[in-house]
Amino acid sequence: MELVLHIGVMICIYAILATSFNLLIGFSGLFAFGHAVFYALGAYITALTALRLHLPFPLPLILSVIGTGLLGLAVALPALRISGIYLVIITLALQVIAIDVIINWTSLTGGPTGISGIPALSLLGKPLTGPAVFLPAAVIAAAACFLIARHIGDSPFGRSLRAMRENESAAASVGKNIFYMKVSIFGVSAALASVAGSLFAYYLSYVGADSFQVSETVLILSMVVVGGTGNLVGSVLGAALLVILPEALAFVDLPEGIAAQLRLLIYGCVLILFLVFRPEGLLREPRRGGRHAVAVSGNAAAELTTAAPAGGVVLEGTGLRKRFGGITAIDALDIQLTRGRVTGLVGPNGAGKTTAFNLLTGFLPADQGDIRFRGQLLRRLRPHELVRAGIARSFQDLRLFAGMSVLENVLVALPRQRGDGLLTLFLRPLLVRRQDAANTSRAMAILDFIGLADRAFDLAEDLSYAEEKLLVVARLIATEAEVLLFDEPLSGLDAGAMRKIIDLLRRLAAGGKAICIIEHNLEAIRSACDQLIYLDEGRALAQGNPETLMADADLVRRYFR
Amino acid sequence: MDLFAQLLANGLGNGAHYALLGLGFGLIFTTTRIVHFAYGPVFAVSAFAVWLAVAVGGLPLAAGVVLAPLTAAAAGALVYWLAYRPFERRGMSSHSVLILSLGLSIVLESLLTLIFGPNIHTVPGFAPPIFILGPVFLTGLQIGEVIAVLGVAGALLLFLRQTRYGHAILALSDDRDMARIVGIDTDRISLIVFALGSAIAAVAAVFTLLNEGATPSMGFNPVFVAFVVAVVGGLGSIPGSILGGFLVGLVESLGLWKIPTEWQNSIAFVLLFVVLLARPQGLFAGARR
Repeated sequence: MELVLHIGVMICIYAILATSFNLLIGFSGLFAFGHAVFYALGAYITALTALRLHLPFPLPLILSVIGTGLLGLAVALPALRISGIYLVIITLALQVIAIDVIINWTSLTGGPTGISGIPALSLLGKPLTGPAVFLPAAVIAAAACFLIARHIGDSPFGRSLRAMRENESAAASVGKNIFYMKVSIFGVSAALASVAGSLFAYYLSYVGADSFQVSETVLILSMVVVGGTGNLVGSVLGAALLVILPEALAFVDLPEGIAAQLRLLIYGCVLILFLVFRPEGLLREPRRGGRHAVAVSGNAAAELTTAAPAGGVVLEGTGLRKRFGGITAIDALDIQLTRGRVTGLVGPNGAGKTTAFNLLTGFLPADQGDIRFRGQLLRRLRPHELVRAGIARSFQDLRLFAGMSVLENVLVALPRQRGDGLLTLFLRPLLVRRQDAANTSRAMAILDFIGLADRAFDLAEDLSYAEEKLLVVARLIATEAEVLLFDEPLSGLDAGAMRKIIDLLRRLAAGGKAICIIEHNLEAIRSACDQLIYLDEGRALAQGNPETLMADADLVRRYFR
Repeated sequence: MDLFAQLLANGLGNGAHYALLGLGFGLIFTTTRIVHFAYGPVFAVSAFAVWLAVAVGGLPLAAGVVLAPLTAAAAGALVYWLAYRPFERRGMSSHSVLILSLGLSIVLESLLTLIFGPNIHTVPGFAPPIFILGPVFLTGLQIGEVIAVLGVAGALLLFLRQTRYGHAILALSDDRDMARIVGIDTDRISLIVFALGSAIAAVAAVFTLLNEGATPSMGFNPVFVAFVVAVVGGLGSIPGSILGGFLVGLVESLGLWKIPTEWQNSIAFVLLFVVLLARPQGLFAGARR
């Protein structure tokens, strides 16, 4: 019985670790393999403050959460610069350094012998010693951590995290603040992991470096993979499974060293078996954003296409210049985008069309030149800030959030979401819920306008190519930006689909948007654009209306043929 | 000053060791884009093969040593063929392959521990010759490893530049898709690269065996050191790997002048941390092979 209760406590501790780790790798796609460091810091802070400073519960727990949360913020900084396998390696290195610090800073951590004699957690004057009385406390802590993680995972913020996981630049292009998301999710994940550490220290009344080695991080990783990345209930199951499995060894009489090795072997084998036979884990990532019909609110078509006064330059670039090494991609480019008009950017491959988009939307800084939006000079704004100001762009390679539903792709792009802020998420949950319900209807209305309403609950990766292109338009409209830059919205489409998108662009322009498209198809350009800018070798060689430009003998020879 | 000279010599000896590790790992990573954590256990397996042959089988050391690269090449190729290749075929993400390699390295390491026990296994009756040059004390192993790394690097350069397979490897590390389009059998080339990279690691493993003995976990640190060296030197550059190896060795060794010994292990990791953040393309990137 004692053993069963003990296993229960260990499951609670690992459930906290696995769910918090899942927020990082499963939701945010941040493969930072140093989770045991957060676990360790939580344990050591609790051990030291309870033992040396005699602080009563819950002060050690609170200090653990704060201290470890701060470390989490610091660990986020490398993740802002590097990603993928480099982040994996650097965080594993951090893990090794942390263990070295624990072992070598003997005066503080007790070195290899660790810290023992940590006073028991006492509630209302009653010490919780032994698994039987500790288990309820552990269950409560685990449940609280799980609810916090789920609240974040299911929120608009969680949706933005998944968008960042699917494609970071696309998330920035719909106005998401990547810096804020990375830093805050690291902080939250670390703080949650420290709760597990704190429980561990109180429960065993001992902490030592052995419990927090790299293999511990790999164990937590295995739990997340086995349970299913992106599924928090799965993480709890994964934790339970991997805690219980090796306990079966307890019934076999084995020397201590061998048992520890066998345990590792079991973890490793289970991890590999799952990767091979069920890579999605025990539980799949849930389809979020609803499965049922969502009411369409408002008439997006009417709203977006009500004739608005045309005219007036909204976005203006003057004397833009950009060099890459010795190559001048953009050289003294002047460009003006006007409300109510569709401007086409044409020219041969390598003329600098996409680079021009990158400069206008903050994805690349210009070496020289000014960009003015509604007459105001823009200085060093990051992409998400420009989207919020009113300048949004799409990508030639689409960059949809492939693993999210069509509806979510649009929903995530809607501006001013209160649920994107962690504080608001917890302090004003009802406001967030209300706004998100309204936003969902709004997103549905946009899909209705675009003609994708019937695919709203399918994954974006299951769409046909033409539907993907439509979704790109829908996502861009959702940003509510006034200036929309489309990078090859028509390429690869058949005549019917092309007609449909051109029609959408015309209607958006009529509704007061300033639109710029990069395009190669001359027929499409003729019917879509009011104005053309012919770009070659980074310079605007000619500007004017399509008919005039396409009749220009010199340009015909160069490009239009 | 005498201490400095000694630390310098030690640094060069360790640097040669690290350069070998970085060469093998870097070759595998740049060509296949796989972060091969199981490089560690393969490293350990090759050392144990030599130990078995010499200490248990009674073979002369010179004969046993030849076994190391052969075993490692076979083990490395096997890991690629049975584990990584099926994964890549199924189009799994690079993160899944990385997690797989972490899992593999745990499984292989614990298998080694179950078979051999956690103790240190040394080659009985081996003592390296010792040279005393003024104040500096050198072992034959340190000198041998410097010679080994230069020999291996030279042979590798020749192989890459002069042979058909070498050209295919270079093409693959430049652009995988393009290599496939021009008809290079990427599976076969990856297999060769895994065998070759593992064999290079085995050279270093033999020196570790002779120096300190073999343990099942002996491959854990080398994976990281190899990654540090490959990244510090700039991925895909042979001269870079060698410079990177010596740089890490020297920094680690000369660091002991001011830093207590117990921190020696951390120095390489701190170096990795700083380099990855400040210059992810590596210190000597641009020095293409």
